[in-house]
Amino acid sequence: MAAAPYRGRRMVAALVLLSGFALILFRLFNLQILQAAELTVKADRQHRKAVSVQGPRGSIYDRHGKVLAINMEVPSVFGVPASLDDPSGVARDLSPVLRVRAGEIEKKLKQERSFVWIARKLDPEQGRRLERMPLGGIGVVMEGQRFYPKGPLLSHVLGFAGMDSQGLEGIERRYDPSLRGEKQMVVLQRDALGRTVFPKGLHEQAPSAGHNVILTIDEVIQYIAEKELEEAVTATRAKGGIAIVMEPRTGAILAMAVNPRFDPNTVQAISADRWRNRALTDTYEPGSTMKIFVAAAALEEKVMEPETLVYGENGRMVVAKTVIHDHDRLGWMTFAQVIQRSSNIGSVKTAMALGAERLYRWLRAFGFGERTEIDLPGEVAGLIKEPRDWERRSLASIAIGQEIGVTALQLVTAVAAIANGGWLMKPYAVSEIRDEKGRVVVQVSPQVRRQPISPESVHTLSKILEGVVTHGTGSKAAVPGYRVAGKTGTAQKIDPKTGAYSSNLSVGSFVGYVPADDPRLAIVVVIDEPQTEAWGGVVAAPVFRRVAEQALQHLGVSSQEPVKLAMTTSSEMARP
Amino acid sequence: MKTLTVVAAMALLLLYVWERVEIVRVGYQIERLKVKKVALERERDELQVKLSALTSPERIARVATEKLGLIPPQRGQVILVNVKPEAPAHGEPAMPDVKLARNEPVGKVP
Repeated sequence: MAAAPYRGRRMVAALVLLSGFALILFRLFNLQILQAAELTVKADRQHRKAVSVQGPRGSIYDRHGKVLAINMEVPSVFGVPASLDDPSGVARDLSPVLRVRAGEIEKKLKQERSFVWIARKLDPEQGRRLERMPLGGIGVVMEGQRFYPKGPLLSHVLGFAGMDSQGLEGIERRYDPSLRGEKQMVVLQRDALGRTVFPKGLHEQAPSAGHNVILTIDEVIQYIAEKELEEAVTATRAKGGIAIVMEPRTGAILAMAVNPRFDPNTVQAISADRWRNRALTDTYEPGSTMKIFVAAAALEEKVMEPETLVYGENGRMVVAKTVIHDHDRLGWMTFAQVIQRSSNIGSVKTAMALGAERLYRWLRAFGFGERTEIDLPGEVAGLIKEPRDWERRSLASIAIGQEIGVTALQLVTAVAAIANGGWLMKPYAVSEIRDEKGRVVVQVSPQVRRQPISPESVHTLSKILEGVVTHGTGSKAAVPGYRVAGKTGTAQKIDPKTGAYSSNLSVGSFVGYVPADDPRLAIVVVIDEPQTEAWGGVVAAPVFRRVAEQALQHLGVSSQEPVKLAMTTSSEMARP
Repeated sequence: MKTLTVVAAMALLLLYVWERVEIVRVGYQIERLKVKKVALERERDELQVKLSALTSPERIARVATEKLGLIPPQRGQVILVNVKPEAPAHGEPAMPDVKLARNEPVGKVP
C-alpha cells in the first residue's frame, strides 16, 4: 500500500502547518487582545509626537502698509555631541558656512551634553547650505526672528522684541498681546522613518499668527523728520533732539523722531539709555513755548486782547527779589507783540494779571502735568506744582516756562489743540489691528479729551502765532507758500553740578502748525544742548521749516499761493 | 450565485485595501505640500524683508542722490493743485472726516 506513507506525510505536513497557524493565532491573540491596551499606548508614543508650536508674531506696518517689523523663520544649528564620531571633522566642515572658527565649534561639540546650540538665527542662505551638507549629529531647526528692515527708522516707537519673540520696548511691548502668535500643542503622527504622516484630525489648524498692527506713522514723514533732526543735531553739535509730527485734527502721530537713533536689529549692543523714547519719557523746561498757553488763558479769560498795551520795562524787571530780563530793551508793545517778540516781562505781567490759580488751571486744562495717554509705554506726566506749593517767584517762572516739566509730546498735543480749533486730542500711534487674514480686529478712532478753549480765542491766538513767524522770533520757521503759526522756545538747563541755571546748557525748541488756517501738521522740534547757538529760533525753527515743507509736499497739501485761485473755479464746477 | 458573492466580497475587500492605501498616499502628499507651503511662506517672508529694506526711504534717497545724481525738487518745481471743494469749518475736528485722512490719494484734504 502506497497510500499509508503518503497519508502519514500528509498528516505531518498538515500538523506542521496547523501548529504554525496556531502559533500565529496565539501570538495574534496575545498581541491584539491580551496586550492590546498596553501596546496601543506604546505605539502611539512612538508614532505620535506632541509639539508646542507658536504661530508667528504679527507684523507692524506704517499707515500706507509699508512693513516696519516682520517675522522671518531663520535657521539655527544644534549638535548632539553623543552621536558624533568625529567632532573635529564636523567642526571643520561647519566652520566656513557658519563663519566661526573650527576650534570654537569643536569645543562646543566635545561637551558632555546631549544637546548644544552651535549657532542661532543665521541667515537663510546659510541654512540652505547646511541642508545640503549630510552631517550626522548636527541638526537645523527654524526659529522665528524679528526683523526691522528699515534699520534705525522709527526705532524708538517700534521698540523691539527679544530672542523668544517677546516684546520688550515700544509698540512691540505695548501691543505684545496682539502681536504674539497663538501657542498650541499639535499632535503629529509619524511613520517608522520619522516622517509626518496623515495627521490625526484634518480639522486641526496650525496655531494662528499674531495680529498685524498698523500705525498712524507715515514712513516718509518719519524719514524726513529723522533726517532733518539728525542734520540739525550734528550741525549744532547737540546732545540729541526730538521731533514729533502730529495730525492736529485727530491726534494721530505721523512721525516721532528721537536722536541719537539706534538699530533695533542689533539692540544687544546698545545701552538701555538709547532705547528710551525721550519724546514721552523725559521732561524738560519748555521755556518760551509756554507763553502760548499763558496767552491762550489770558485771551479766553479776557485779561488781554491782542491790542492791549503792555510796558516792557526796558528789558529788566524785579520779581520776588530776582531780576527778569528780556533779550531786547522793549518799551510799550501790544499783547500780540509780547508773544511775537517773546518778551519775558510781558508774559510775566500777563501771568500776574491771571493770578496763580487761573494760570495753573489753564495749564492743566491744556494737558500739562498729566499723561496724554498715548498708546506707547513709558510715558511720564511731567511736573507742575500746585499753586499752594509755589514760591514767590513761581508765577513768574512758570509764565516763561521754568519750574515746569513737560514732555515734547505734551507740548505738541497742546499746540495741536490750538491748531484744530480748541480740541485737546488723545494722541495715538496705532490706527488698526488686523488678524492674519486682514480682517479688522480693532479700529482706533480719534478721541477728544476735552475742549479747553473756545474757537474764538483760538482764532485770535492763531493770528498772533502767525505773527511770530512773519515778523517775530520764529522767522526761520516760515515755509514759503504756506501760513505758519508757532512759537520759539529757549530754555536754560539746570546744571547738575551747581543746581542753578547753567549759562551754556540749553534746550532750543520750536512748536507750531501749518497751514495756519487749515492745519494739517502740528510739529514740535526740540534740540537738546546745542553747542553752536542756543536760540530755539535759530536751532529748531529751521528744522520745523524743512520738515514741514517736505511733509506738506508729500501729503499733497497745495500751497496757498495764487496758483490755487486759478483752480478753485474748476473744482467748484465739479462739485455736485 | 456563490461565485458572484465571492467576487463581490473580493471586490469589496480590494476596494477597502485600495482606499487605505490611497489615504496613506494622499496623506503623504498633503504633508509634502505642507512642507512646500512652509518653504514658500518662508521665501515670501524673506522676499518681503528684502523688499522692505530695499524700498526704505533712506536707501531710496541715498541711491537717488549718490548713484543717480538726482536732487530733491527745488522750490517752485512742484506745484500742487488744490482739488478740494471747500475747507472744513475752522474750529471743529470734524470727526467724520477723520477716516479720509488715512490712505488718501495725493491732493485731497480731509
